This record gives sequence, structure tokens and C-alpha cells, in this order.
Amino acid sequence: MSEMANVMTEYEIRELCHEFFDAYQDGRVDVLRRIMSDDCIVWHNVYGRETTRDENLEAYPNSYTGQRRRTYNDRIINAFHDGFVIQYSLNGVMHTGHKGALWICIVGRVRDGKITRIDEYMDTSKFAAWMGGPRA
Amino acid sequence: MRKDWQTLELCDRFFDSIERKDYDTLEACYAPEAVIWHSHDSLYQPRADNLAMLKRGMETQPKTRFKERRVRVFEGGFVQQHTIYVTHESGFVGQMDVCFVGYVRDGMISRAYEYFDTGQIDKFLPPREPER
Repeated sequence: MSEMANVMTEYEIRELCHEFFDAYQDGRVDVLRRIMSDDCIVWHNVYGRETTRDENLEAYPNSYTGQRRRTYNDRIINAFHDGFVIQYSLNGVMHTGHKGALWICIVGRVRDGKITRIDEYMDTSKFAAWMGGPRA
Repeated sequence: MRKDWQTLELCDRFFDSIERKDYDTLEACYAPEAVIWHSHDSLYQPRADNLAMLKRGMETQPKTRFKERRVRVFEGGFVQQHTIYVTHESGFVGQMDVCFVGYVRDGMISRAYEYFDTGQIDKFLPPREPER
């Protein structure tokens, strides 16, 4: 196999990006584990530190606390030679019925059909409005 | 035809001009219709307002640096991840991790999106004097 065979096309990178967010939306941790490389690093601006793929996936169920549904909408994806940047709206419905939205940007790096790094930028000052108050 | 180097040069020129307090170069980086969106209010700031804000920063802040710049070019624009360090008059050095997505037309930034965490504003702005 030539070296070029491992170079991902822009189309493949976009598809991988969509697959990642669809899996996150649908709770498909098995898919996430498959499309994130074993050495994938996830960095959040909120914590300012890097976490491993497995740490991230183990924390996935807890991230849903208080939430009934989350959808990743308005995806604007731009691909470059070794990754992508996606700007999107995260819309959530809480168990209280409250609906919230966050605007997030993620820069992803890819290699051999897998995501090798995720850098996530969000604004924690919006979290309270996102979750809403307690049920009346 | 896509010319990555031109977009990379624009990106560098834009951020370097802020560091060097070179307002004329900064202004020339923005297309006439440029708007700048910020994640803290989800609003598009008009070109003139954004330039006024940046000019005020040049006049009042002793030093601004964009470090750990990681730039990637895509069709129609670029994304830069960096940490901004601002030295305030008091000597306090604030910092913030930022992701800047710029869309480019005719060699100028026509639209930009800036993402950062205002929940960490205490790391960016100097401590306020207690009210008397």
C-alpha cells in the first residue's frame, strides 16, 4: 500500500466528523470508541487539560445528568489536510422541560480514518442558562 | 485556485499587527463588510465597533501576545488556536485560550468567529479594586 493511500480526502474527513457527532448525539459509545484512535487526546478549554479517549468515554454517561435529549445542530464543518473545524449549536432538553443552547467550536485532528485529537472550546458562563432552574 | 500561503500570511499579518500595535495594517485585514462574532454574547459585532475596541486595547494595554499559535487553512478561510496574553497597566498578565475561525474574501477577513470561556474571565482581567 502506498503512503498516499492513508491520506484522507476532504469528503472522508467531513464524513468522519459527522459520524463522530451523530454518535455523540445517539449515545453510541461503541462507535465513538471505534472512530477515536487508541491514543486520541481530548482537550477542553474549560478544564485546560488533556484527557484520554477512555477517560472521556467513561465520563460520557455522567455528562447527561439532568438532560433528556441533546442534539448537535447547525453544523458548519471546514476540513483541512489533517483535520477539521466544526462550529455548531448544542441544543438540549432537560428533565425539567427547559430547553437550552450552547455554541461550541471543536478542532479535530485525523489520521488513517480516525480522530486523533479533539480541542473543544465552550463558554462555561452559559452553563446555568443551558441547564435552566430547578423544576417549578 | 486555493492559495494556502496567502491565507496563512493574512492570518499572521492580522495577529502580528495587534501585537505590534499597527492599527493601519490591522484595519486593512478586514473586508469592508467584516463582522466579528463572539461566543460570550453570540452577536455579530460590526467592523467599526470591533476596530474601535482593538484600537482602545492598543492604546491602553502595554503588551498583547498570541502564543502557541496553531493555524490550519481550509477552503475559504482559516482556524487559529492560541493563548492570548495581555499585560495590563497594573502589570497583571491575563491569559485566555481562544479559537478564532476566519472566513476570507479577496485576501481580507470578511467574517470571524471567536470562541473563549468567559467563565474564566478572572484569569484574563486584572482583579478589581474593592469599592469604597
